[in-house]
Amino acid sequence: MSGEVRVVVAVVLQTVVVVVAAPFLVGVLRQVRARWEGRVGQGLLQPWRDLVKLARKEPLQANGSTVVAWVAPVVVLGSGLLLAALVPTVTTAGPARLPADLFVVVSVLLVGTVALGLLGLDAGSAFGGMGSSRHLTIAALVEPTVLLAVYALSVPVGSTALGPIVEGRLADPGRVVAPAGVLAVVALAIAVVAETARIPVDNPSTHLELTMVHEAMVLESSGRDLAAVELGSWLRLSVLLALVANLVVPWGVATAGDGPGLPALAVGVVAVVVKTAVSGVLLATAEVFMAKLRLFRVPELLTGSFVLAFLAVTGSYVIG
Amino acid sequence: MSSGDASQAVAVLAGLELLTAVLLAWRGPASSPRGPLAVQGFALAGLVAVIGVAEGEPVLWLVALLVAVLKGVVLPTLVVRRPGRTARPDPARAAVARPVVRPAVVRGRSRVPLLLGAAGLVVVAYLAARPVARVVTGATGQALPVGFALVLVGFALLATGRRSQSQLVGFLVLDNGIATTAFLATGGVPLVVELGVSLDVLLVVLVLQVLGSRIDTAFGAGAPGGTDLDQLRELHD
Amino acid sequence: MAAVLASPLTAPLGVALVWVALLGPALCALAVLLLRRRAVVLVADVVASSVVLLCGVALLAGVADGGAAVVTAGGLLRVDPLAGYLLVVVGAVALTATWGGLSPARARSRRGGRYTALVCLFLAAMVLAVVADDLGVTWVAVEGTTITTAFLVGFAGGRRAVEAAWKYVVLASVGVGIAFLGLVLLYAATRAAGDPTLSWVRLVTDRPAVDPTVARMGLLLAALGFATKAGLAPMHAWLPDAHSQAPAPVSGLMSGVLLAVAFGAVLRIQRLDAVLLDGTAVRTLLLVGGLLSLLVAAVLVVTQRDVKRMLAYSSIEHMGLVAVAAAVGGRLALAAMLVHLLVHGLAKASTFVMAGRVLAVERTTTIADVHGLVRSAPRVGIPFLAGAVTLLGLPPSGLFLTEAALVVAGLRAGYGWAMAIVLVLLLVVFVGMGRAVMAMTLGARPEPAGPPEAVAAATEALTAPLVPVVLALTAACLLVMATPLAGTLDSVVAVLGGAP
Repeated sequence: MSGEVRVVVAVVLQTVVVVVAAPFLVGVLRQVRARWEGRVGQGLLQPWRDLVKLARKEPLQANGSTVVAWVAPVVVLGSGLLLAALVPTVTTAGPARLPADLFVVVSVLLVGTVALGLLGLDAGSAFGGMGSSRHLTIAALVEPTVLLAVYALSVPVGSTALGPIVEGRLADPGRVVAPAGVLAVVALAIAVVAETARIPVDNPSTHLELTMVHEAMVLESSGRDLAAVELGSWLRLSVLLALVANLVVPWGVATAGDGPGLPALAVGVVAVVVKTAVSGVLLATAEVFMAKLRLFRVPELLTGSFVLAFLAVTGSYVIG
Repeated sequence: MSSGDASQAVAVLAGLELLTAVLLAWRGPASSPRGPLAVQGFALAGLVAVIGVAEGEPVLWLVALLVAVLKGVVLPTLVVRRPGRTARPDPARAAVARPVVRPAVVRGRSRVPLLLGAAGLVVVAYLAARPVARVVTGATGQALPVGFALVLVGFALLATGRRSQSQLVGFLVLDNGIATTAFLATGGVPLVVELGVSLDVLLVVLVLQVLGSRIDTAFGAGAPGGTDLDQLRELHD
Repeated sequence: MAAVLASPLTAPLGVALVWVALLGPALCALAVLLLRRRAVVLVADVVASSVVLLCGVALLAGVADGGAAVVTAGGLLRVDPLAGYLLVVVGAVALTATWGGLSPARARSRRGGRYTALVCLFLAAMVLAVVADDLGVTWVAVEGTTITTAFLVGFAGGRRAVEAAWKYVVLASVGVGIAFLGLVLLYAATRAAGDPTLSWVRLVTDRPAVDPTVARMGLLLAALGFATKAGLAPMHAWLPDAHSQAPAPVSGLMSGVLLAVAFGAVLRIQRLDAVLLDGTAVRTLLLVGGLLSLLVAAVLVVTQRDVKRMLAYSSIEHMGLVAVAAAVGGRLALAAMLVHLLVHGLAKASTFVMAGRVLAVERTTTIADVHGLVRSAPRVGIPFLAGAVTLLGLPPSGLFLTEAALVVAGLRAGYGWAMAIVLVLLLVVFVGMGRAVMAMTLGARPEPAGPPEAVAAATEALTAPLVPVVLALTAACLLVMATPLAGTLDSVVAVLGGAP
């Protein structure tokens, strides 16, 4: 196998693994939460069952909805898949034509965010609009943090591509505990929590009209459309969680070299599944012990993470 | 311990101090400052120990122990506790005291300006520390801006704190910043001075705690440290 | 007399005197806390002040005029002429304030012991700040003065007192904290130059080749920090609150000596700046701070309604003058500055003590509510008027001569514009404070005030001893003419770098 083919294989494998694993991750999150709260829980497979059930159903659309109502779910799912391909989860190898560059990844994230926002607005219902407005406000506050945090991580590597950043941390573990790295990862983690609509920014399991953000936007979707939107969002969650996990614990990821071989990929799959599952358990546990912030407190949280990212950038130039 | 390791350890501990300072600026009115302050104190103690190893000065081990006990345990505990008498309104004085008009719901101020200001102050600190870092030899000069940043952030916390506890936290961060600068820039001031300074800081915090509880008594706050210091407006020109 | 005083001290005697001055007040505090006898509580602070004064006079006589400095505690403590002089200032002013503030009623009260003990510890901290050679020890002592005075400021209790105490401790600790940051930077600079030290005398004599940027940063921060404690604008915000709320003798102590002691530290920093660098940075700081203090004082004295706050602003004014004199430099200005510190301390302590008695008699410190004191209560009104007039610098007050000397020295040194500002602001203060004091003391006797509630306090104030106030005010007028002082002053000025 030539290097090019190996890279394609690796990327396809990575995408498939993420797509298969994402609903399981959501299952883990829900199950852990249920156990903490003393419930039996619905089992790890439930998100998959839901997806299959939804995918079989014909989507119903509200009166007055436009072309956005069926384009947006596709875009959300597409951006999720693209993220799964680009962001180094199983392997740091990536397609040469479309590098997993910081700016590309943030743009892809943003495309999904905007599509979701438009979807919420499209039906013209009050809740959808409210959800979209909150969603976009949060997105506008998160984006600078993500950019700054990844930029801080890129300074010691000299590249804004995510693959080399993860590889760099693998090669020099000192960077993992360096203050700039720690600050950037903490900032990124908060941004990820906000971006994926988790507590304390949003409560993924609420349908209380005054507080819901994500759920408000998908209220009008149904059937296949809802399945696409849900899977797209879960992909985002899984990819970003896996990215943070890889940044904190880079070991196990299949490095690029001239294209990773199958054994390395196998290790990479196992490693990323374990890492993401562990971080999922931690996230769910943290969520149980936290209350959702009131909406006007959210900017404070995000400003804090922005400051951390900013400090990381300053610090990466001075104290390494 | 090689100088590379020492430099790395210093960077980690200094980063930890900076992180806790930002957390303290970030924290809501309900959360306790004790944890971050303790972490900051222990990070400072660790810094002293690392410098002690790197420079081969056993006396710094003693100082590290002192710092760990004082700034890691005693002072953070003092900040969240009220020593001495609990709020016991003096009936004679309460009769004279004017009624205080307070909003029914005390809404905390947004921390956003403070947080953004802290980010700006860190940049200022990096600029201000540059000439000093130049004269410092060894592994520690790099992290020096953190000391300055802590001083400035502490100052900001102190200036914007509305409750006695917040101002106290600001004072401690400021003091930790000065101590960090001292250890990073000079490997610690002479032991006699260090002891005196530690004693002074301890006493100042004690004094402020007692005064804080007296303020609560005089201004009739329900919870300890609950008095809004913006009420301190009787003396002015 | 002069010859006897000027005889050099033997070294062991000098060392013993330093330790007596340092430990005497501390032992007095201990005695108060242990014995708790009413007589001890009553006089302990007066005894402590007298000990400091006697040791100070003896030490000053020993180290001035070519005597060697007394060094002890491994070089941490060192009494040179400047330290000796400041010791005398501390002792003399403290004696005025504590003797004039003797109060059997307070000694009988539950918290009287605590008051006296804290005053004694306050004195000990100030003595340590003065005799320390290591700047770090000076810092510890100056911070110690904040700690010991915190509860004295809030002694009266009630909202205003705790508010003043809180603001005082926070602002003073932060200011002094900044000074410590400066000292740390100075230490780093000397360490980079190869000889880490905070010993003032070693820095002045060895003149290490320090990095100018770092050393300047350090010295400026240190000067700024200590200037906070010395009450220079714009870091003066704590001063009017603390001085107006503290019991009158404590106000006198803080105003008369604490400011002087803190300023002594600033002077040492200024000398270092002149020796290690070119001396412009701290001089500019002092000049700007001094003029600003005068401006603040002038504006707020005129509009002041509370007599103790007015006296506090008068302290800011005088510290401003002292700072300007230190900035001008040179033999005449520095000598004037030193005398000014002493005379202002004596006069301010006396006036604060009398203001306390005014409060006891009239039960108010509002200027507009007090009339005709000289007729209604001459034993309070006349000394109060005399003290205020001395502070205003009317001849024969010593302040008249020192202010005149300052202006002359400033003109000679090319600070004409600054001196013009100083004169204008002095005039404003003079008019503002003069008008208030005259309204309070002169004029017709008011009809008897309301029901005599605080008769006991008023009686105590009316029968309290006048001797300390009379002595202090006499000294404030006559000291400048004392001949032996000239030689002593020359040696103190030499410490500060003014060529004799």
